[in-house]
Amino acid sequence: MSEIKVDTLTGKTTANDITVTVGATATQSLEQGLAKTWVNFNGTGTIAADDSLNLSSLSDGGTGLYDINVTSAFARTNHCSTGSIIGDGSTSNRSYALVASISSNTTSKIDIATVNANVTEAYRDYANISVADFGDLA
Amino acid sequence: MAGKIIADTLEHSTAGSIATNYVVNGSAKAWVNFNGTGTIATRDSLNVSGLTDNGTGDYSINFSNSMNSSDYAFQGASQLDVTGFANNSDWLNVSGSRSASNPSTTSHRIVVGRVTTEAGFDSLYNYSTYHGDLA
Repeated sequence: MSEIKVDTLTGKTTANDITVTVGATATQSLEQGLAKTWVNFNGTGTIAADDSLNLSSLSDGGTGLYDINVTSAFARTNHCSTGSIIGDGSTSNRSYALVASISSNTTSKIDIATVNANVTEAYRDYANISVADFGDLA
Repeated sequence: MAGKIIADTLEHSTAGSIATNYVVNGSAKAWVNFNGTGTIATRDSLNVSGLTDNGTGDYSINFSNSMNSSDYAFQGASQLDVTGFANNSDWLNVSGSRSASNPSTTSHRIVVGRVTTEAGFDSLYNYSTYHGDLA
């Protein structure tokens, strides 16, 4: 077994371009395949992150509305955000996490809403919200 | 010629180590952010060769490099119709696979629709990510 002990991986030709073999022969960019931000947070009461990567803070915009503010900014606003939530088990409170709810993402934040998908479709706070985001950092 | 390193483990001086199979298998193999309205268009992506508009809220995401199998993991999200939702009507959008037969190694067909009416909906912001092995 081989092992590399290193604190930083940097591309030789381009700093953020390291190619990895990800199939029998297929290769891809290591940098582009990595999530640049992820967070699991409690969106009820005083919202708080349970675990995260590249998170500076969370902002509570009201019931079911959150901004995920990143430490290292994205290069562009067009990063790719997906998420999900754990419902409370009630059939009257079926839940969906929706990303980019009110406005588009910026380079420094991910804008999400969590919504109760019953007939009223009201914004709702949930205790376990997970979001991951892909794209280049600045 | 660029250098090449073959290794099983990466170890940081203070932050621990990771087997390189987690780097390879844990990396997304495709992701896309696209505009699903009008002439649909990719804003940013990895390993996506193009999009196909199959109808209202019905899209195919085509991969540049094929996946190894059709059993990859998919996550998707789409933007709310803000105006409609603010009026408390049925404009909640979710993304999902169109049917069990639609994930293929070369493309993935998704639907974006309203929860309450189950009608397809063209959403301005759509996000999809894929994890699995490439061929």
